[in-house]
Amino acid sequence: MDSNALIIIISLTLVGLGCGIAIFLANRFLPEEDKQLKKTEEISKYLPGANCGACGQPGCFAYAGEVAKNSDILKKSPCMQLMNDEKKLKELSEYLGLDLSGSSTKKIAVVHCSGDSEILFEYKGINSCKSASLLSAGYKKCPFGCLGFGDCAAVCPVNAISIDQKKKVAVVDPKKCIGCGLCVNECPFQLIEIIPAEMPQYLACNYLSKKNIPNRERCSIGCIHCRLCVKASEKGEVTWDEQKDLPYFDPEKCVSASAAIDKCPKKVIFPINK
Amino acid sequence: MDNLFAIFISMALINNLVLSKFLGLCPFFGVSKKLSNAISMGLAVIMVMMAASIVSWFLYFHLLIPFGIGYMSTVIFILVIASLVQILELTIRRTNVTLYNSLGIYLPLITTNCAVLGITFINVRTGYNLIETIVSALGAGVGFTLVLAIMSGIRERLELADIPESFKGIPVAFLVAMMLGICFIAFSGMV
Repeated sequence: MDSNALIIIISLTLVGLGCGIAIFLANRFLPEEDKQLKKTEEISKYLPGANCGACGQPGCFAYAGEVAKNSDILKKSPCMQLMNDEKKLKELSEYLGLDLSGSSTKKIAVVHCSGDSEILFEYKGINSCKSASLLSAGYKKCPFGCLGFGDCAAVCPVNAISIDQKKKVAVVDPKKCIGCGLCVNECPFQLIEIIPAEMPQYLACNYLSKKNIPNRERCSIGCIHCRLCVKASEKGEVTWDEQKDLPYFDPEKCVSASAAIDKCPKKVIFPINK
Repeated sequence: MDNLFAIFISMALINNLVLSKFLGLCPFFGVSKKLSNAISMGLAVIMVMMAASIVSWFLYFHLLIPFGIGYMSTVIFILVIASLVQILELTIRRTNVTLYNSLGIYLPLITTNCAVLGITFINVRTGYNLIETIVSALGAGVGFTLVLAIMSGIRERLELADIPESFKGIPVAFLVAMMLGICFIAFSGMV
């Protein structure tokens, strides 16, 4: 133990001490931090942190900042992932002192296509629905059908969308889906719709045209616009969307239309299994 | 003046920290997915590098060398950089929230960044004086930002490119980094 070792120990301790004191002083004498920031950080703890951007803000932290400024944002442009998480939503509403119970409506995405259509020609090109859709409305016989390249699956933040490679159709797993709605804009045929999770069934077809386009017929289970489902539903569970010429299930009511499912000659109304 | 300019160019382009010294590779691949993130990160790195270089220069030449304990520099520098970043983060957080939102989340990433530690060592080992140290740290930071910005621009394009399945993501980023490194060799004759 010579004096050199002593110097090392003392000088290192002093440098460490100096750093500690400097941080202490900085902490003590800097102005108080913005209260908004503290609130923002508190709120961001309750948010999912997936930074999916479906709420319209660049990330969960930015969304928390907006909520800290004005808590009405939670109702106006709700975070779908948060709305599906009842426990966290309750904690956040307690923290903000707000009643959010009414707005807790789970939503999920459905793909209005069964993917049963035959192949019209072989598509060889960029692996994306957007580019495949530009070539004579897709390579399938049905000009409205899902092309199955998975543009929607690529943006899904929770991997709820899988592609059935045999039928070339996107399938949403209702258990995983958080209803964020990112996939809706990805589909070039607008096949994906966000509906309330309580909805017991959906129409797996989007064949819009009333007349058949030559050589581009609907698939074997495509909707033939027969309106039997409307006739079968005595209490008006199913109505007819005249604009699209397809059956319409009112998202406000979310009633089960089991009679219509049975009556449908093509069996194209699919129940949603939860 | 010529000397300072040469140091700046040499640190920014020729002896680029990322591409020729292979320092700071984790932010290089981690934060280079988006151009805006890359530039924010780069600015934070420039700030921390300059502050760390100045403080470590004083410590090295006025504390460690007079006491003859230059070999303890690694420990001291890590300690000093870590606490410096803490103070910097506190200061930004308390005084400028807008700046904190754009830079703040990257500051803790830099605390243990080898590029920052590397530049302090390069400065004291080469024996630069204070002005040269500042210029060299600035050059290194600018070089780091430049490479990060170039890389993020390329990676934004790579997202759209048709890449073989097994190369998607990090592997193709490494391949691009290699080509970028080869391009930067072209600067080696400048100074």
